[in-house]
Amino acid sequence: MIHDYLVLSVILFCLGIVGVFARRNVFTVFMSVELMLNSANLAFIAFARLHQNMDGHVLALLVMAVAAAEVALALAVVILLHKQTGKLDTNVFSLLKG
Amino acid sequence: MFAHLLSVMIFLPIVAGLILLFAPLGRTTARVAGFGVSLAVLVLSFDVYAGFTATGKLEFVEYIPWIPSLGIAYHLGIDGISLFILMASAVLLPLVFVLFGTRSKGYYANLLLVEGAMLGAICAADLVLFYVFWEVMLLPVFFMLGLYGGPNKLPATLKITLYTIAGSLLMLASLVYLAVQYHTLTGEWSFSIEKMGLLNLSGQAAAVALFGFMIAFAIKIPLFPFHTWLPDAYTEAPSATTFVLSAIMAKIGVYGVIRVVMPAFEMEFARYALLFAYAGVISMMYCGLAAIAQKDYKRMLAFSSASHMGIIAVGVFSMNVQALTGTIYQIVAHATSTGVLFLFAGILEERTRTRAINDLGGLASKAPVFALFFAIAMLASVGLPGTSGFIGEFLIILGALKFNVWIGVFTGLSLIIGVCYMLWMFQRVFFEKSKAASESFKDLSLVEGLAFVPVMLLILIMGIYPHPFLRKIEPSTAQYIAAVAPSGVTQTVAVSPALPAELTTEKN
Amino acid sequence: MAHSTFYLGMIPLYPLLGAVCIGLLHIFTCRRCRLPQLVYGLLACVGPALSFFLALRVFFELQALPLESRFFSYKAFTWFSVGDLHLNMGFLADPLSSLMLLFVTFIGTLIHVYSIGYMDGDKTYGKFFAYMNLFLGSMLILVLADSPVVMFIGWEGVGLCSYLLISYYNEDSENVLAGNKAFIVNRIGDLGFVLGMGFLFWAIGSHGFDFLSLKANAHLMTESTILIVCLLLFIGATGKSAQIPLYVWLPDAMAGPTPVSALIHAATMVTAGVYMVARFSFLYVEVASASMVVAWVGILTALLAAVFGMFQDDIKKILAYSTVSQLGYMFAGVGVTAYSAGIFHVFTHAFFKALLFLGAGAVIYALHHQQNIWKMGGLKKKMPITYWTMLVGALALAGCPPFAGFFSKDEILYSALANGHFFIWLIGVLVAAMTAYYTFRMIFVVFHGEPRDQHAYEHAHEAPLVMTIPLIILAIGAVIAGFYNFPAIFGGEQMISHWLAPSVADQHPHGSFLLEFFVIATSVAAFAFGVWVAYKRFGKGAEEPVFTGFASFAFHKFYVDELYNAVFVQPYKVIGTAISDEVEPNMTDAPVTSASRLYMRVGNLVKIFQSGYVRTYAIYMVLGLGIMSLILSQSLN
Repeated sequence: MIHDYLVLSVILFCLGIVGVFARRNVFTVFMSVELMLNSANLAFIAFARLHQNMDGHVLALLVMAVAAAEVALALAVVILLHKQTGKLDTNVFSLLKG
Repeated sequence: MFAHLLSVMIFLPIVAGLILLFAPLGRTTARVAGFGVSLAVLVLSFDVYAGFTATGKLEFVEYIPWIPSLGIAYHLGIDGISLFILMASAVLLPLVFVLFGTRSKGYYANLLLVEGAMLGAICAADLVLFYVFWEVMLLPVFFMLGLYGGPNKLPATLKITLYTIAGSLLMLASLVYLAVQYHTLTGEWSFSIEKMGLLNLSGQAAAVALFGFMIAFAIKIPLFPFHTWLPDAYTEAPSATTFVLSAIMAKIGVYGVIRVVMPAFEMEFARYALLFAYAGVISMMYCGLAAIAQKDYKRMLAFSSASHMGIIAVGVFSMNVQALTGTIYQIVAHATSTGVLFLFAGILEERTRTRAINDLGGLASKAPVFALFFAIAMLASVGLPGTSGFIGEFLIILGALKFNVWIGVFTGLSLIIGVCYMLWMFQRVFFEKSKAASESFKDLSLVEGLAFVPVMLLILIMGIYPHPFLRKIEPSTAQYIAAVAPSGVTQTVAVSPALPAELTTEKN
Repeated sequence: MAHSTFYLGMIPLYPLLGAVCIGLLHIFTCRRCRLPQLVYGLLACVGPALSFFLALRVFFELQALPLESRFFSYKAFTWFSVGDLHLNMGFLADPLSSLMLLFVTFIGTLIHVYSIGYMDGDKTYGKFFAYMNLFLGSMLILVLADSPVVMFIGWEGVGLCSYLLISYYNEDSENVLAGNKAFIVNRIGDLGFVLGMGFLFWAIGSHGFDFLSLKANAHLMTESTILIVCLLLFIGATGKSAQIPLYVWLPDAMAGPTPVSALIHAATMVTAGVYMVARFSFLYVEVASASMVVAWVGILTALLAAVFGMFQDDIKKILAYSTVSQLGYMFAGVGVTAYSAGIFHVFTHAFFKALLFLGAGAVIYALHHQQNIWKMGGLKKKMPITYWTMLVGALALAGCPPFAGFFSKDEILYSALANGHFFIWLIGVLVAAMTAYYTFRMIFVVFHGEPRDQHAYEHAHEAPLVMTIPLIILAIGAVIAGFYNFPAIFGGEQMISHWLAPSVADQHPHGSFLLEFFVIATSVAAFAFGVWVAYKRFGKGAEEPVFTGFASFAFHKFYVDELYNAVFVQPYKVIGTAISDEVEPNMTDAPVTSASRLYMRVGNLVKIFQSGYVRTYAIYMVLGLGIMSLILSQSLN
């Protein structure tokens, strides 16, 4: 039972990672990150159910709150980036290149 | 005379420098303010000089615990050795403000900061305090060189900064070693320089620590082969900075050897003294030879300065009263001669817009006062009797002969080497026919001339009547030597080959 | 001491003060208002003249003292005192220094007077006299010094003035180079002096480092130390007094104005080496080998310089080489421990050589700075005073009895032979003949025969009174100076020998009447032979010879200058350039620069990982997390 949930969570997480690695659009990358967060949430809930306590729920709620806050900040950053370059391609933003 | 004379002398310029840095002031105001502060320090330094009683001990001591658990303290004090370096820096710095007018505000602020830090390093009687001032000294130089230097200033700035910091880190490690040794021996923590003198460290670890200190100081002095930052930095720095570097900062390296290394590492110091003395001699010859080939007068003076510092170093490592006293005397003499030559070079550079020796000529007839002053400083730098340079050099040669005949003979060679490149340069810049760059050279203005007169008089007075100065130095040097010599001298003289037997044994 | 000795310090002080006054006056007026030249000239003569009168006073006061305590000193102040080295700025008057003092101030004053005329019209008149006064002051310090170190002040001071005055016409780089050469070669000697002082100090200096204490304690030194000290000091003397191997600067020094050559490079400064050896005679008599080195170097220099002198065509160069040669005689004299004879020759030489130089100066002045003797000729009619005075000088130099040079030279030769140095005597006689030859070669070519350059001849004129009067005074001196040490053989009193006896450690030869007569006879014969050969060749006018073979070799001074240049100067420059251009950047600086390059390389290597793309960093993160969790799981198991 728990096994299935975890497999689903891992699949979702891997999808998220692949999304971050492979996609160049900032929004898609962003959505992939959200996907990873949600996969973690799924795992939390599953474990909470397994152990019959509320710890997992608390953490899941916390993650959601953080994710919401992060979305607000990240979208603002994305908008600023778009204003500066007019593009949403992650390859454009490579100022850290050594 | 007020209670915290030394502290006032140190922090007056530092505070004034910081205020200048941040206050919205004009260039001229900054210059006047800087001059005023440096004059105030000068006045205070006379107070110190007058109050100094030459007991051989630290005087004007100030002691405030800083980090009591580790025995670190804000501990100041001066003896006959530091007194003269202190005086030299206090006397010479006001000159810089008078002579060089076309610089920005930050430049003057940095000059004040460097003055404060140098005075701090000179007066510090605590190793940590010494280290702090030692490092702080470098910062203003970094800015002055990096912001206001010549065309190739950036590599030169990086080189001097990194090189010196590398040395300083070795020193830091060594001074921690000293404190730890002191702790294991006595059970209490202390970084007091005086107390380190009670240690008589020997053995391999002590030798490593000794070399840690020595490399740091050798870089600052600089001694061969740690001198390679010098030609670039001295040449590219604005002349006032070069002057500060050569006239005072290099001396603090020598001072560090005398003050910190000699008392703490008596045995090991005596063991390696011959090696270091050879480093000094090689430095003198190497830089002296390099000087003759220079086409840039500032670079030539840079090598000449390094060459003379080599002799000064020999004096330290010869470990007898004559040589050490000569060293202290030569430190002041070098500041007033070779150091001052950099000021003249700065004036030359400002007025002719060239640093090439071959672009100049015939200045002696164009600017007789300038030529006269330059000649006096030059002759003092080559050690002509009757000028300050002779007394120190003579004492060093005398002491070096006692230490080791060959060191003495090689040190004596400086009499010849120095005069060769100096005269060759003097001929091409001041004699012969005038060239385009020197055609419209103006002699020193009245103010500039008057600013140099005290220095010129000092050169002559120190050469003709050195007794009052030496009287203040000698008790301290005698004390240092008494601490080091008994174990050292006999050991090293045995190496000297050609010295007839009774020369080494006769000692009354 | 009953009488005040304060004035002893004033002797060098007067000219020094004069130098400062004239120098300041010159500095302040050279730009705007030109003072009349006479102001400088007269001001310059005051100091030397005052010193001369004080020197007379010193002489008479010494004379009044009993023989065994015939000295007094004046301590101005403690110069410096470090450890067991105690030095006073002290001055010592004894028979030796008083004799030097007398003729230095006397000739110095005369040459200052002469210079008023000679330097007429010079642009930097004030500077010249400031230097001259500075020189005289330094020379007097040298002479009066009561310790070697104080002597060294004067020693280097005169070297400096010599440099300044040789390169006086400094627009011409040749002159400045000659000045540099003089200073640097002197400095090589000075190194010997300094090291000698060092050894001396560590041997006996702690008992007092003034001459009197040194003399009293000399017996504490071992022979080997004395030998080292003596040889090192002698190196100093060879530099200052232009002996082999350091003689090369003196001929070049003739680039300076002629009064300078007369005062510094003939009469006073160059004899300082002889004076120094005589001062240290208490050391030199202890070690015979040191004295022998002095004597042989001296006599060989005399020979070498005489050979060169025979082939020169510049009137001042001839005199310069003759100076070197005569200095060689003096060293031979002090070397055979006949110190009073050596000093006596210093004394007489000062008169006749100054006279010859001043005469040559008058000729050069008359011919508008023509110095080549082959452009002169027949000047006897135009310049009678100069001719006759120079003739007196030439006779004295050549050693014609009863002129001054005869007595002093004869005494040296006699001492050499009587002390058993046969070969030194033999070379000495040979050199005497050569001296007579080249001196009269110069006289005949310049003053006799027909004018070679008609145009210059017509414009030639006798020098003004201010120049000829010093000539005449010196000529009188050149005639009578020798009689002060009239040989005992002719019933003379040998005043100078007796006068000097308390100061120098003379070893009087006990020669026979026959030996002395023999020496005199050979000297006179050598003189006669030399003059005769010169007359045969040049007496009735001769054209400029073309030198071949040995003569050409000697004309080029055996290429010694070129040799020194190749062996010392060029390598020095090459090494300097090599260090600065090759060693410095490629070797000593290499560790530093390669350290910084190492950082650069490592940085470049690491840089590859910094792509700047967000997802690359994400990959690193995931990889890192993966590895971490792997390790974690491993360690948990």
